Amino acid sequence: MQKILTASKKERKDILFAILLLAPTLYLLLRIFILPIMQSLVWSFFKYNLMDGSAIEYVGLRNYVDISVLNDFWISMKNTSYFTGFSVLAELAIGFICALLLNQTFTGRSFFRGIIIIPWAMLTLVNGLLWNSIYQPGYGALNNILHQLHLLEAGTNPVWLSSSTNVVFFAAISDIWKMTPLMTLLLLAGMQSIPASLYEAVAIDGAGFWRKVWHVTLPQIKPSLLIALVLRVIGAFRVYDILTVFTANPNTSVSYLTYNFAFRYFYLGRASAMAWISTIFILILITIYMVLLKRQQKEQ
Amino acid sequence: MKNLKLRSIVSFLMVTVFLSACSAVPTKTDGTNTPSNAKTSGSDSSKLSWDKVNDPSLKGQEINVLVVDTDGKIGKIFKQFTDETGIKVNELAVDYNSLYGKITTAALSNSSDIDVFEMDTIWAGQFFKGNIAEDLTNIVPEDVQKKYTKSSLSSAMFDNHLIGIPYYSSTKHFYWNKDLLKKAGYEAPPKTWDEFREVSKKLTTNGVYASGWSWKQAESLICDYVGMVYAFGGNMIGDDGKLIVNSKESIQALQYMSDLINTDKTVDPASMQWTEEDVKNAFMAGKIAMMSNWENMYPDLNDPTKSKVVNQSDVGLLPGQGSIVSSSVTGSEGIAIMKSSKKKQAALAFLHWIGSREFQIPFYSTTGTYPSLEELYSDQEIIKADKTKTLAKIMPEFQYGHNRPNAPGYVEWADILSSQVYSGLMKHQTPEQSLKEASRLIDDAIQKAAK
Repeated sequence: MQKILTASKKERKDILFAILLLAPTLYLLLRIFILPIMQSLVWSFFKYNLMDGSAIEYVGLRNYVDISVLNDFWISMKNTSYFTGFSVLAELAIGFICALLLNQTFTGRSFFRGIIIIPWAMLTLVNGLLWNSIYQPGYGALNNILHQLHLLEAGTNPVWLSSSTNVVFFAAISDIWKMTPLMTLLLLAGMQSIPASLYEAVAIDGAGFWRKVWHVTLPQIKPSLLIALVLRVIGAFRVYDILTVFTANPNTSVSYLTYNFAFRYFYLGRASAMAWISTIFILILITIYMVLLKRQQKEQ
Repeated sequence: MKNLKLRSIVSFLMVTVFLSACSAVPTKTDGTNTPSNAKTSGSDSSKLSWDKVNDPSLKGQEINVLVVDTDGKIGKIFKQFTDETGIKVNELAVDYNSLYGKITTAALSNSSDIDVFEMDTIWAGQFFKGNIAEDLTNIVPEDVQKKYTKSSLSSAMFDNHLIGIPYYSSTKHFYWNKDLLKKAGYEAPPKTWDEFREVSKKLTTNGVYASGWSWKQAESLICDYVGMVYAFGGNMIGDDGKLIVNSKESIQALQYMSDLINTDKTVDPASMQWTEEDVKNAFMAGKIAMMSNWENMYPDLNDPTKSKVVNQSDVGLLPGQGSIVSSSVTGSEGIAIMKSSKKKQAALAFLHWIGSREFQIPFYSTTGTYPSLEELYSDQEIIKADKTKTLAKIMPEFQYGHNRPNAPGYVEWADILSSQVYSGLMKHQTPEQSLKEASRLIDDAIQKAAK
């Protein structure tokens, strides 16, 4: 503002023009991003049941208290944490190995680098439907393969998606299949930026393949690793769509439960409180990431 | 200077956000709750008139219609409406599982992108109390309302309010593979659930299961369960419209279902992951001998490109038990007008056409969906269109159909109930424990919603 007041006429014109260009973006951001966030914060302090015709009342922190003692919420939190932990660690491990392989020079490398993206490019729901058919008892691929390998006794026909824990486990498997390519690409990008001279230097010191990985690759890709980890943790924590293919049980994830509270039962007050509690969990994760990143920058 | 500029921008944004947050306080309007930023827009419902549905001034208007139409057959029939009235119809075709979300999201954002939508029987109360659908009680004349089958009319009503025009009549029916039954030594299908159990034991052989069900933890499980509870003499709806969950008959019904799958092992275990479409596919593949399913299984069951059981199947009454001849769940639906629509009169003209012979006959002949207009069941065109000769076999079940509750709150209660019934079927709990827990959780949900 101060600058606008003291600037010359031409400068003032330029600044106003810049503001004019920014205005639509700012308006859209406010309208579709900031406002709904603020709106949900306000709603979380109200009894706001949209579909039963009841009165809207200010209830203070009651929605937060109700959610914090809601058994389903903690079951869904536990399931979400399990899903996040299991899928991200597996994606990291498999993604790292794939990235190491794709970083080597071999015939057909570009082809493999290309096709690895396919699962990631698939729609989440399509991925869910694909894996749902694999998990079908009787005619599903999983049972058929296990029968042919004689790992399942003939006549046994397990229902894989029989409980919320099983659903979360098998949903995590399909998520790992879909999201490992992203992890691979992020880590591969990190590996590509490591100067060859570093490898040459440790090679002169007599380091073998694994020592190169341990002493050069891993420390060098730490920033990419952190970014990949945080992106996937946040993504996995919000898991929702794939679970809807496997079950109507909302306790399988906290986002699913929040969605049901908001858009199936229309308890908008309680759903907003639930969304804010889970946001706080995600904020904690982001804070940890920021601290780690800062420490990393200091080390450099 | 830089800091000052930054501070100014941040302060400006903070004030804007604060002001927008103030406007986010939910408010009550016209005695009904609507989203805070929602004003009941669109044309005034008091101007809606059934007499003006043929008004030439509606010509050229465009309406958006949200319906379940996965193969595009219904959309083709809608073109006839445009030809007759000049009102353009934009069909928003979705699968059933996406329907509720699309309607409620549009309502929550007060969008007028949807003018007309398909409404399942279980949503009427919510959509009325939630101010989502237009109340048609005083708009559709009473003598018109009387023309519809009891099942289809009740599915579009809540608390004596008409929320939509009856779209079709529906219950679940019993389908069986005649050849497989004959091989097992049966000429006729079972009439009671006791007989069904005995027949099932003989039918389950050579990789073929006697029956398959839509027992995935979802509404499809509740549909089978409701029919079963009534067959065992139970009742799901109390005098106050609330669910009755923990009755002696309900426990008996759930125990029976559990015995079929866990003790007799005559039910394809994949049923625990199936919805109705999966059951139909298994039946068409000849993997199951009997199923409970909705009307429009034909002509697919006799289509050689889709089915391996062409001309092998038949349809009739679902079994009963004791003095109960048969029992089924109602699945009739209505077509409603969005409260936020800006073209309500054109939408009403569409509803008028949906509930008329002009739509109902091609609807039946193209999709096999049964008419909501009572008089059409003796209409020569319908009888002529009944190529599989199943009309007379399907109709009797309609009198044994039972509605699920459609009060606001049902969606949550049904989620709880399906979770507990599923848990009983998977033997995580006994049927008695499951239903006791369901009853406790539903009571708890009702109390919390009222708090």
